[in-house]
Amino acid sequence: MGSRWTWRFLALPGVAWLGVFFLVAFYAVLCVAFGNQDTLSQPVPFWNPLDWNVGYVLDVLSNFRHGGQFLTVSIRTLEFVAIAMALSLAIGYPVAYFAARHSGRWKGLVLVLLIVPFWINYLMRMLAWINLLSANGWGTRILHDLGIEQLFIWTGLLSTRGGWLDGQPSAVIIAFVYGYVPFLILPLFAALDRIDQRHIEAARDLGASPFSAFLRVTLPLSVPGILAGCVLVALPMFGDYYTPDLVSASTKTTLIGNQIDQFTRQGSEKVTGAVLTMLLALVLLLLMFYYLRTTRRAAQEAGA
Amino acid sequence: MEGEIRLEELTKRFDDVVAVDSIDLDMPPGEFFTMLGPSGCGKTTTLRMIAGFEQPTSGKILLDGTDVARVPPHKRSVNTVFQNYALFPHLDVAANVAFGLKYHRVTKEERRRKVRGILHLVQLDGFEERKPAQLSGGQQQRVALARALVLTPRVLLLDEPLGALDARLRKDLQLELKAIQKDIGITFVFVTHDQEEALTMSDRMAVMNHGHVEQAGSPREVYEEPRTSFVAGFLGVSNLLDAEAAPDSGACSLKIGERTFRAEQGATQTRGAAKAMIRPERIELEPHDAPGDNRLPGLVERAVFLGGSHEVHLRILGGELLRATVANNGRPPGVELREGQAVTLYLPASALRVLEPSQDEPDSAAAAAERPERTAPSM
Amino acid sequence: MSWLRNPWGKPRVLAVVTGLYILWSIVPVAIAVLFAFNNGRSRTTWQGFSVRWFTGATGSVFHDPELQGALKHTLILAVICVGLAVPLGVALALGLQRWRGPGGGTINTVMLLPLVTPEIVMGVALLLLFLRVFPNIGLGTPAQAIGQVTFTLSYVVVIVRGRLTSIGREYEEAAADLGAPPRDQLLRVVLPLLAPAIIAGAAVAFALSIDDFVVTQYLSSDASTTTVSMLLYASARGAPTPALNAIATVALLITLATLALAFVVYRRFASGKEAAQVAALEV
Repeated sequence: MGSRWTWRFLALPGVAWLGVFFLVAFYAVLCVAFGNQDTLSQPVPFWNPLDWNVGYVLDVLSNFRHGGQFLTVSIRTLEFVAIAMALSLAIGYPVAYFAARHSGRWKGLVLVLLIVPFWINYLMRMLAWINLLSANGWGTRILHDLGIEQLFIWTGLLSTRGGWLDGQPSAVIIAFVYGYVPFLILPLFAALDRIDQRHIEAARDLGASPFSAFLRVTLPLSVPGILAGCVLVALPMFGDYYTPDLVSASTKTTLIGNQIDQFTRQGSEKVTGAVLTMLLALVLLLLMFYYLRTTRRAAQEAGA
Repeated sequence: MEGEIRLEELTKRFDDVVAVDSIDLDMPPGEFFTMLGPSGCGKTTTLRMIAGFEQPTSGKILLDGTDVARVPPHKRSVNTVFQNYALFPHLDVAANVAFGLKYHRVTKEERRRKVRGILHLVQLDGFEERKPAQLSGGQQQRVALARALVLTPRVLLLDEPLGALDARLRKDLQLELKAIQKDIGITFVFVTHDQEEALTMSDRMAVMNHGHVEQAGSPREVYEEPRTSFVAGFLGVSNLLDAEAAPDSGACSLKIGERTFRAEQGATQTRGAAKAMIRPERIELEPHDAPGDNRLPGLVERAVFLGGSHEVHLRILGGELLRATVANNGRPPGVELREGQAVTLYLPASALRVLEPSQDEPDSAAAAAERPERTAPSM
Repeated sequence: MSWLRNPWGKPRVLAVVTGLYILWSIVPVAIAVLFAFNNGRSRTTWQGFSVRWFTGATGSVFHDPELQGALKHTLILAVICVGLAVPLGVALALGLQRWRGPGGGTINTVMLLPLVTPEIVMGVALLLLFLRVFPNIGLGTPAQAIGQVTFTLSYVVVIVRGRLTSIGREYEEAAADLGAPPRDQLLRVVLPLLAPAIIAGAAVAFALSIDDFVVTQYLSSDASTTTVSMLLYASARGAPTPALNAIATVALLITLATLALAFVVYRRFASGKEAAQVAALEV
């Protein structure tokens, strides 16, 4: 109803906006990455793909191939993200499970409490931690008194007493977990909530113990939700530079996001920064499309 | 008089599915016209094309002689009552009813008067300030009706409006709708899958199946003179039997199994494979071994007491199951309606009908034998 | 303790874990808020209750020019962001929902991409855009606003489309049937019914803008384009006063209040379940 053009006309401003400020922006990254830089180390983008200069891209790639800083940093990023993800799952899954299946009449309240951190400024949450883990912070004192600090020193996860914020990989990983777990819990909650109770009842009816029913029914059915949540969290985590900056500020914990930030915003060599951004985006692109595909299908199946 | 609709070779195709297949229909002005059929038969699509929500792939929709097929819905003087009423939730009853009056040049006072008048007609006086969420199903339906009628359209389209209501309310509203239609005199085009509803309310009806019209006519015609086995089966119990037909001096000679029957109704000029049909109320039961033409032996399998009559299930010949309706005061002498009783079925030639085969072969008596009991066709 | 052995539930352990998690999640922030009201300059030693860091004569949110500037700039950006993202988003949602023919799927995918793009990638892309493609706009407030709109737009679209889907086409058809031309169908029927989603979208865009960091930082030009988030980042490791906690608390309160309002509005006019989904940003 109404010609098709009426509706397309409505969509036009939004599409134009995204086209210019999103798609063109990405194209600009490509053109800078395949571009050159002038004598002031400022980037000179090559707009015509036929003119593209692969020089800087090859430089970066060879850095990777020869075990240079980019490779080290990337591997470190992978490690941190993987560990943080595992820890987040270990914490998030039981919480999501409880909230979805056992919270009974508290469900609404629990859900609100789980959603709230989601909306608190990320930096404020990090700030809170910095407060607590600073030299005289309550957190530092409690961890010391409970002996946990000693434990961390023994296991090499902490190098000096009270030095939580001095370039400790463990601090960064824990900060990641603190920062991103809420983003993981919500999709997990949604997936677990969607599982029909009757499947579990059927399994129990057929003789499965509660644990076995969980293992053989609930867990497999929640796998799509787990994957979706992990992807949703991994994407920003890979590019995170501010968490290490805030909680560590040391080259011992430089991640790929920090590298990109140094080269682009901090201005040392924007071309290289663009190359790194492009490579990161390419790697993450697969994850991005996977996430979009699975969530849309899940929403359709649930009868959105 | 206004409000005549003619559909000429109207077709609607969705990708490779033909929903409406080149139908021709005549809906005379001022009448209650029903389109009846199972779900998926194309009746709703046809209605939506008349309303303007779907564009026909080809064909004409003539409203009082003018082809409106390409006219957008807001410009047609045709209004619709939707299946789920579609009352605007953010407006109260008065605002809902007055919605379309904005496009008819009326003063504010006239508008208020018209709203009050139409609400009186549908027996909802005083409901102006209520919100749709506060109304019952039946009340919502009446507001939807009022909202459409207040604009005095030439034709009112109703898309299964009684579907969401419970049985008793449905019956009451069926009578009310019919009375309103007679009162106002506007053409009503009604869509339903319920044959009883169609038979009760219509002046004329069209039975549709798989996108085409199987038969159109008055309710009596369509029920007593069905042209195809589909129509026969859809409008009531039809008792179909396979037969070999041959014309026989004005009537038809049907060979059913080993016996020959004379049929005076229907497509009597058919030659070859055909179906014989007789309505349950026309089968006459006689004692076992009664003599005469057009008779065959049978066994009472079940007799269901329905209050005013019995529905008797009879097994005959090659195992087919026929159903006969025997009124309680018309019980034939010498015939006992109990299980296992042997009887003779008399199928009067004047009641026996020859049918053309139809696109979709519905239950013949043989198939009915396999199936559990039903009294009316389901959706 | 029979319910401990109850085969149908073992919620006690999980309940404890969940409780601990919630505490771990919220208490640090609560403490930070608490110290915003500290009477002294320390952010780790409690020295008594005071609102000096909010309203005091010096160094407070309302009197320190740096803090005040940041707060003002944050709010200005948020208002501009909502002012642009909501109309664009609503129009795009309507257009996409009714799109007929090819291209709709592609546009939908492009619309969804900002939701899953890592912030640093967006930041770098936008930085290069405003340095090399639109040097006449350059960095600064306009760039920051444009950058924020670019990623909040998608959230508005998703929220509005969700509501459009649950409304369905019947009301528009009814309006058309009663004589309303397409423009009136939109204005008299669709938009009123969309109102809760539009309000929710505006609230979400507002909150996202206030909380945004990476894009805003990348596109800032000088000290005058500092926002609360950027201030937190810059000062966190230094030796700031509790004024930092105070300004963070102010921003937090504004965000939570906006979202609570939106949630309430949505629940009143739509279903609670839909509202919960929006709050959890289920894409």
